[in-house]
Amino acid sequence: MNTEANRETLERILVESRNIHGVSLWQDAWNRLRRNPAAMISLTCLVLLAVLAILTPLLPLQSPIDKDLNERRFLPPNLGTVVMGGRPGLKFADGTLTGELDRFNAEIADLAIQLQSTSDPQQRQALAAGIAARIDIEHPFNQMWNELGPVSWWMCQTRVALFGNYAIPSLFGTDKLGRDLLARVFWGARVSLIVGIVATLVSLIIGVSWGAIAGYFGGMIDAAMMRIVDMLYSIPFIFVVIFLVTFLGEDSVKKKLDSIGIDQITIFYMVIGAIYWLTMSRVVRGQVLSLRSEQFIESARTVGASPMRIVFRHLVPNVLGVVIVYLTLTIPSVMLFEAFLSFLGLGVSPPDVSWGLLLNDGVEALSIIKVFWWVVVFPGGALAATLFALNFLGDGIRDALDPRMKNRD
Amino acid sequence: MKDSQPLLQVNDLQVSFKTDESQVRAVRGVSFDVHPGETVGLVGESGSGKSVTNLAMMGLVPKPPGRIDGGRVMYDGKDLLTLNERQMQSIRGRRIAMIFQDPMTALNPLMTVGQQLTEMTRLHLGLNKREANRKAAEMLELVGLSGAEKRLRDYPHQFSGGMRQRVMIAMALSCEPDLLIADEPTTALDVTIQAQILDLLRDLQQRRGTSIIMITHDLGVVAEVCQRVLVMYAGRVVEQADVQSLFAAPKHPYTLGLLNSLPRFDQSSHTLEAIPGQPPDLGNLPAGCSFRPRCPWAVDACANEDPRLVTMDQDRQVACLVAQETANV
Amino acid sequence: MRDLLGYLLKRAAWMVLTLWAVYTVSFVLMRSVPGNPFSGERSVPPAIERQLKARYNLDAPPLQQYWDYLVGVVTRLDLGWSTRLEDYSVNQVIAEGFPVSATLAIFALVFAILLGVTAGIISAVYRRSTADHVLMFAAVLGIAIPNFVLASLAILLFVFMIQIFPAGGWGTLQQIALPAFCLGLPVAAYIARLSRTGMLEMLTKDHVRTAYAKGLPKRTVILRHVVPGAMLPVVSYLGPAVARVLTGSLVLEKIFALPGMGSHFINAATQRDYTLAMGMVLTYTVLLFVMNTLVDLTYAIIDPRVKLR
Repeated sequence: MNTEANRETLERILVESRNIHGVSLWQDAWNRLRRNPAAMISLTCLVLLAVLAILTPLLPLQSPIDKDLNERRFLPPNLGTVVMGGRPGLKFADGTLTGELDRFNAEIADLAIQLQSTSDPQQRQALAAGIAARIDIEHPFNQMWNELGPVSWWMCQTRVALFGNYAIPSLFGTDKLGRDLLARVFWGARVSLIVGIVATLVSLIIGVSWGAIAGYFGGMIDAAMMRIVDMLYSIPFIFVVIFLVTFLGEDSVKKKLDSIGIDQITIFYMVIGAIYWLTMSRVVRGQVLSLRSEQFIESARTVGASPMRIVFRHLVPNVLGVVIVYLTLTIPSVMLFEAFLSFLGLGVSPPDVSWGLLLNDGVEALSIIKVFWWVVVFPGGALAATLFALNFLGDGIRDALDPRMKNRD
Repeated sequence: MKDSQPLLQVNDLQVSFKTDESQVRAVRGVSFDVHPGETVGLVGESGSGKSVTNLAMMGLVPKPPGRIDGGRVMYDGKDLLTLNERQMQSIRGRRIAMIFQDPMTALNPLMTVGQQLTEMTRLHLGLNKREANRKAAEMLELVGLSGAEKRLRDYPHQFSGGMRQRVMIAMALSCEPDLLIADEPTTALDVTIQAQILDLLRDLQQRRGTSIIMITHDLGVVAEVCQRVLVMYAGRVVEQADVQSLFAAPKHPYTLGLLNSLPRFDQSSHTLEAIPGQPPDLGNLPAGCSFRPRCPWAVDACANEDPRLVTMDQDRQVACLVAQETANV
Repeated sequence: MRDLLGYLLKRAAWMVLTLWAVYTVSFVLMRSVPGNPFSGERSVPPAIERQLKARYNLDAPPLQQYWDYLVGVVTRLDLGWSTRLEDYSVNQVIAEGFPVSATLAIFALVFAILLGVTAGIISAVYRRSTADHVLMFAAVLGIAIPNFVLASLAILLFVFMIQIFPAGGWGTLQQIALPAFCLGLPVAAYIARLSRTGMLEMLTKDHVRTAYAKGLPKRTVILRHVVPGAMLPVVSYLGPAVARVLTGSLVLEKIFALPGMGSHFINAATQRDYTLAMGMVLTYTVLLFVMNTLVDLTYAIIDPRVKLR
């Protein structure tokens, strides 16, 4: 064998290996996911839903809380025109929201002029407080919407500026108190999605850190931590949660919590997140444990990759796959749990709306005498469709990340 | 031996798989015979279609995505490819048995070895439970597992790799089949265990006269146990010869490459020579000879014509234009 | 056998530890609610309040209360007196409610396993067929629809429109069937998906190919070599499934007005009947522990590679 030929062979092999393009795990997974129509449709729907939920205050919807017991109870889906603030009981100027807003703003402006013309500091202070209180309580928005945050407040103002008194007709019908169901489904989506996502994130943070620590250190620490998880698995959490929610709902406890700025929905996130981390921690620990002994980690170490690099280039991407798949499973179960608690009267409390609460209202309105189907079908459909989409997306991501398991579909 | 009636005749077998992107032609017209008492080696790189050929013969190619596109597998006067599922079941295990590469996964981990051994004899030979148990113990003794009676109650995970492969062999031979297909039976085992298993197979074959198709990528195994060799490349047989002449004078450049990539002890300064390039993508084969991109002998004609397997001297077949040319001159 | 006994003892020890932890946490929570269970809606004459306090041992110092109750539970299995249901001890309430809830749960579980496993196997064996698509769509639907919506629709449909089930009551098979069906359906849906996945994974295993190569008929291969392995994930899910059925029974007992533990628990929780609620949490913990142990045992029986720890 002469050296010239050897070199040629070597060079040829080098050229060949250069021509083989590595495709990153994520690129590859994304390519596979894109070919899965069910997953892609689900993804599109979910993104759309999220955008709509975020933009809800901007949309020309009717008021989600304004009741009309006289004329609008259990209206079936219809195309009848509705004017914002048009209900006589509201006693809005001109019978419109904009009219009332003008009147109210004029009043406030009057007060502001008064404020400017007074010089006595004490009186000024009293007047300023009076204005603030009036805006706080008497602003027409407060009759149309419930406890808007600053961003939502701004969005509602933009909405009035854009659409004036126009509101989408009651396409989904109205409920037993004459409230527009379409608006309620949209506003409910915000709460349901936030509960779902935030609670899942809480469980993610607890679960991943717990599992990763146990898996990374191994040995005694791992054994002890996993024992605790085993133990927690045997506790009927639902009952503990119900117990806790009622406990936290106790008036005196509530007051104390309110004083430090924690409301019921926040408790919700934390409590639910605290239940769902168990499985997550097990899954993550299993992954970390098996990856630790995996050969490619070994080989990364032998070529001199730093521990940070190993963790971020090798461990994180591999664990992330499992975590993402698990997330798409946890969000639906959290949303179902929210519905479950709402049904038991322990969840989100009115005037906040969530899909669970809407469904509960709907189920109560079900009767044989008159079938008000829309009060169940629309909120139920929204919830089911979201859970469907999450399920299909989760399956799609799982298949995309793990082609070996493709046959699992 | 060659004069006897062949036990099995494979004729122009073609198998393909459907993938997301394309139709992969895994086996492209494979033909060969197996005679009674003979051991035939089937050699090639992974993906060359050797395992698929045998699975197709047994009707075990998963369909879909797999599909038999043509050919015949004659056994006992019948074309196995045309038999229905029931008829095929009476052939599998009873007349043609298989052993697989990885004894770790080829046995059912949830059943005792005894259950797995007796399952077959009870089905095919109609033995009752006690007879089947006795037979199973006998078979375990035969493959060299001591304390067989007790071991029947053990689960596969209680055996070592080599012992499991022995169990697999015992299972495969328990209905005294005419033909044993051994799909890389030693690849997953330690070298010392490999030798034991090969010895066992050779010994059993001599005693029972079972024919064996030995699928392997290891030419050492071929040299040890086979009488005849088929070299496969990209779903085709590219060379067929008896073992001595193949090793002495390989005719196909691919065979030559395989032999050159083996370490040899008789030449101290010998450099190992890898075959350059990658095995071709079966979904997207080059025009002409599929080995051409890697072939040191390639000439212009190779790009146009896909060479057929042509008989040369003494029952020897080669599918290479250059080799055929040289022989004719 | 020794292994088994050791395992059971170990589990029992863990259960006691868990129960103790649950008790301690609930006790602290209960006692940290300001006031006592009787202060509130109406004023009680001081004499009666004293009497009540004595009865519920509320006049003792907290540590003493903690200890007394613990001794009562350990020595006499006495969970104390309900604070809202007058003249009922917690034990009595549980004794009344338990048979109802247990019957409902068992029916629901059996139904869920039978339906789920059958659907999963059919779906996997006839993969990509219409049956597979329909079953798996139904399974996703079953997972995505909340229990109470399902139950309400079922009542509307089967009780009022097509009158094949009685409107309420408890005792006969007909009365149990509908709530058990509604309770079991989501679990069945989940089990169907699990067993289908398990089946598909098992079908690609080498030893299944071996079984075919042995000449076994498809039916035998599926039932003997594929199904047992595919059932392992289902068996592991049974622990959570029990928890899920217990949870679901809260809702169903409310909808169907069944006198089970679930409705008592909801009442206890909403009416601040802390002793009753705690007694029930402890009972459910025991129940779940026992079920988890049974599941582990079953798993070990199916899979000989598993060692009981």
